[in-house]
Amino acid sequence: MIQVAGLTKIFNDKKRGKIVAVNNLKFNCREGQIFGLLGPNGAGKTTTLRILATMMLPTKGEVIINGFDVVKDANKVRRQIGFLSSETGLYDRFTPRETIKFFGRINGMEDKIIEKKMAEIFHNLDMEDFQEVRVHKLSTGMKQKLSIARCIIHDPPILILDEPTLGLDIITARTVTEYVKRFREQGKCIIYSTHLMREAERLCDVIAIIHQGNLIAQGRLEELKKNSSSEDLEEIFFELITQGENLE
Amino acid sequence: MNWKNIKLIFIKELVGTVRDKRTIIAMIIIPLIFYPLLFMGIGYFNQMGNEKSEEAISKIIIIGAEFSPPLVKYFQNNPKIEILSIPNNPLLKLQKGEVQLILIIPSDFKDRIEEGESGPLILKYDATETKSRIAQKRINQAIAEYEKEIISQRLSMMHLKEEFIRPLILQTENVASPQKVTGSLLGVLLPYLIVILIFVGAMHTAVDITAGEKERGTITTLLVSQINRLEIVLGKCFAVMLISFISMVLGLIGLTLAFLSGTSIMGGIEGVEFGISFSTIFLLFLVLLPLVGLASAVLIMVGIFARNIKEASSYITPIYMLTIFLGVISISQGIELSGKMFLVPVLNSSFVFKEILMGKIYWSHIITTFSANMVIATLALLGATRLFTKEEVLFRS
Repeated sequence: MIQVAGLTKIFNDKKRGKIVAVNNLKFNCREGQIFGLLGPNGAGKTTTLRILATMMLPTKGEVIINGFDVVKDANKVRRQIGFLSSETGLYDRFTPRETIKFFGRINGMEDKIIEKKMAEIFHNLDMEDFQEVRVHKLSTGMKQKLSIARCIIHDPPILILDEPTLGLDIITARTVTEYVKRFREQGKCIIYSTHLMREAERLCDVIAIIHQGNLIAQGRLEELKKNSSSEDLEEIFFELITQGENLE
Repeated sequence: MNWKNIKLIFIKELVGTVRDKRTIIAMIIIPLIFYPLLFMGIGYFNQMGNEKSEEAISKIIIIGAEFSPPLVKYFQNNPKIEILSIPNNPLLKLQKGEVQLILIIPSDFKDRIEEGESGPLILKYDATETKSRIAQKRINQAIAEYEKEIISQRLSMMHLKEEFIRPLILQTENVASPQKVTGSLLGVLLPYLIVILIFVGAMHTAVDITAGEKERGTITTLLVSQINRLEIVLGKCFAVMLISFISMVLGLIGLTLAFLSGTSIMGGIEGVEFGISFSTIFLLFLVLLPLVGLASAVLIMVGIFARNIKEASSYITPIYMLTIFLGVISISQGIELSGKMFLVPVLNSSFVFKEILMGKIYWSHIITTFSANMVIATLALLGATRLFTKEEVLFRS
């Protein structure tokens, strides 16, 4: 469902000159799979996901989302994706119902279908009690549920989640990861970025480790373990980084 | 481009704005309640001050009263004038405000008057004191009456009629229609006020729904939806236009109420009939619409470019100053714009407003203004749309 090949993104910074944020990334992600992008802050995760979500253009390489090219068919790509990051905010002066209705409508859905889908999502995410309360009065957990609801209202086959648990307490974070698992069961293709090893370990079917814009390892957790002297993802991660730096 | 999407954004922005308490305070409470109360207060205290000064008796000192008893009699006949005896240092008393005026009659005054010459009088007062100014007015009036008496005595001595010293009779007629009188009065301030009210009305909302959305992180959710950039910009721009227009109308109503409530306390203004014809209103709209569009589009473009609300505000301040400057030019009397100057935004609208209010309809000016402002507004909208596609603008940090 997601095919990334040779993806490179170079920024021109006035002070620092050329910065290679993402270098020659190649990975694929299937439906019913959670693909984890694991890396420290500044590794290039967010840039990669912004390109996948059509908000940035790649400098080089190709990204195909459910058959559509992110550069040539950006609008069609947007129909395929739900995007959620720690930076995606909500409208404080609207209620969850109004928020979801608005996003349903701007994604071209008919009101009848929105109502039906919204009732289903609110029920599943246990949001019925606060659906008429304005967002600024909601707790962080409630807001995150609403953010999830917003990103799935148009039933996209692909979810792009950029550190969706960043800044959340452990209970809310757990709620989010539980829903991500549910979406996998529904057959969605999920690309999930995180800098938390434990989260990646627990959640992701395939893990790609990126460091300084480069993909340094990719595979199922067991495969990564097999190729390493350690059982612990954190240890594997540091081992890979050191290997990479030694090679340089 | 899908109008349904533009409408969705438009409604979303309007609802968001109306639910913002700050908008309600800025749009309704300040113009409709605060302005009239402020003016009423100013009018009331002004009036009270004036009444007190008018009622007060003017204390004056006359040095050399014995040299012109008939003149002094005029003062004595006025109940609002009290003549005090001469103190040691009269000038000090005047400076301290204990007396309001000193009149000096020289010793040769009487002789000079009797000989048919001019009698000199010296009047000392303090122009910075209201009471002293009122005393001066009262004394001048009495002196004028006495002067009239002397003139008629001198004329009758020479067997002449009063017409002898008034050989000409000038009759002046004002041919300006009541509309033009109203227009010229309105034309001085109204264009400036309209320009400022439009700008101020658009400012808050424009920044809130652009830089504010960036700051709150909601803009990303719009950008990854299926609505395109131009639709987002247009929806936002129309919302700002409506808010700006409504706040301008409310601002004008508030100022009118304030003006009327303020002046009615001070006795009202004479000879002005408020009333503008429908055709004038239509023409005003024709000039207003592109101006509202222009202000909204430019502010939206700046808002999208800025990283956050604070940055947007600092970009807008110089634009606001420039707008005030261009608006102020229209207040200055006697300046006429040449043809090409009607291409300058804001300046063109305020001058065309002025012309329309005075009943002068120059279609070339109206069309130039309309087109110039429309073109700039469109360019700003396209610029704003382009900024939305620029990653360095969207993800600057």
